[in-house]
Amino acid sequence: MSTIGRAVINKIPEITSNALGDNKIELIVPAEKIREVITIIEEELEDAMPESVFGIDLENDQYQLIYIFWSWSTKTLVQLRVSLEGEKPEIESSCDIFPGLEWHEREVREMFGIDFKNHPDPRLLLLPDELDGAYPMRKRFTTDQSRLEESGIAPPRPRPKPEGGDSK
Amino acid sequence: MSPDILDEAMEIWFGPQHVSAHGWATKLTLVGDYVVECDPNAGYFHRSAEKVLEFKNFRQGALVLERMCMLEAFLAEYPYVAAVEKIAEIEVPERAKIMRTIMMEMSRLHSIQFWWGQFNAELGFFTMALWPWVDREYSLDAFEELTGSRHTVSYSTPGGVKYDFTEKFMKQLHRAIDRFEDRLPKFRDMQMGSPTFRARTKDIGLYHYKQGLKWGLSGPPIKACGVPMDLRKDDPDPNLAYDMVDFEIPITENPEYPGSSDALDRMEQRFKEAEVAVDIIKQLLPQLPESGPIIDPKARAKANRLPEGEAYARVEGTRGVTSLWLKTLDKAQTAYRAKIRGPCIASYYALKDLVPGSKFADFIVIFGSLDPYPGWWDR
Repeated sequence: MSTIGRAVINKIPEITSNALGDNKIELIVPAEKIREVITIIEEELEDAMPESVFGIDLENDQYQLIYIFWSWSTKTLVQLRVSLEGEKPEIESSCDIFPGLEWHEREVREMFGIDFKNHPDPRLLLLPDELDGAYPMRKRFTTDQSRLEESGIAPPRPRPKPEGGDSK
Repeated sequence: MSPDILDEAMEIWFGPQHVSAHGWATKLTLVGDYVVECDPNAGYFHRSAEKVLEFKNFRQGALVLERMCMLEAFLAEYPYVAAVEKIAEIEVPERAKIMRTIMMEMSRLHSIQFWWGQFNAELGFFTMALWPWVDREYSLDAFEELTGSRHTVSYSTPGGVKYDFTEKFMKQLHRAIDRFEDRLPKFRDMQMGSPTFRARTKDIGLYHYKQGLKWGLSGPPIKACGVPMDLRKDDPDPNLAYDMVDFEIPITENPEYPGSSDALDRMEQRFKEAEVAVDIIKQLLPQLPESGPIIDPKARAKANRLPEGEAYARVEGTRGVTSLWLKTLDKAQTAYRAKIRGPCIASYYALKDLVPGSKFADFIVIFGSLDPYPGWWDR
């Protein structure tokens, strides 16, 4: 197990780990411990780079969050997996520890409806205002045309009829 | 900052219609000539690529990825292909590995040539905008001969590559590289020797690499601080041929501020990146076997339905760490979840902290020197 994995598990024993390959480790983190774990990563890996945070919809109100950090000098990749459940799950924001996570968290919030508590800037990132609360990356959001009206996006305009007389 | 200074503040939008703002809009708050607040806005280019990937099969998916950044299309499509290969356990013939790597480095060269011209055009240095763009045409001609398309190349596919190198293509490839090498000293002289350019970029957009890493920066913006962080060495993909070449990671060091970089360093860094890309191509070309398969014959069947799995594939793009995280269910025809991580989401976000305090005219220098491409954050 990599050094960082051991450091995290020594401090917070309820965390479990999976090896993903050479120097790649996955830690299963309970939602309430996420800030502690990210703080340990920030202290132990001084060149940790926050690669991304994203959600996965496992349906039936089950969600997962994946955090990925990369440290080039120790060549360590740390993947944190957090399970969440509920209609509107919540987790603490970590973007004061790594500012680079701010936009990723905003994106997860608008796409999956996972709320980040104490996020400094909870505006929409990519979506137009009409889609606020629609959570388009959830599996139950169907993308067919029948939802078009509900989304508030204007339907495509009907084609103008060609000018001129009938060809008959 | 006292509140009465802000009474005179003016808010202006830089983009989305501005010619230098290719699909992004930043709200700047100005007091006199100085920026006091910078609010980058994303979303003007959003095409819900991650949702689209949930409806495309594993051979079509790479086509979505290359549209994220057409300037580095060979690099942009690769993480998806690599993730599919990891889950399906597809072997790639050696010849295809080398061909992929050559084309990815060509893509890097082309992307830098384009950025070079664009950055100089934004600074009003139009001679150095048009010269690299002429050379870029030679790379594009080679891409067109190989794949039939100048930008959306769709070259890598699970199991190998789609098209073999032809004689005419090899001629065009050599012509593009030779022309670059021939003109490089002249370009360097013209660019770095220009007092106007140096005055506009020296000490502009200065940050320490530790701060850069916290924002999530990678690639040339970090290497320009003197930090050799490069996935080609640190975590090379097994289906690429970087282990067959001998190269040093290019870095640039700022003599006055060790560990930091300004816009001038980042320009110098792009010169070195292009040189190393050409060096890798020149080392790989003699190692390319004369003949042999370019695709694993079983790959097509394997990529039709994937087993349950998760894979994370990364590549060192022109702008930094470019990656894709893929989750599939058993006997999947499409991805269950695909997360695209573009490098530029960090470099665009960084403007929020980096720009305040600088002059309004320097905003575009800072922005351009980080080389953000909207496709990478909007997806």
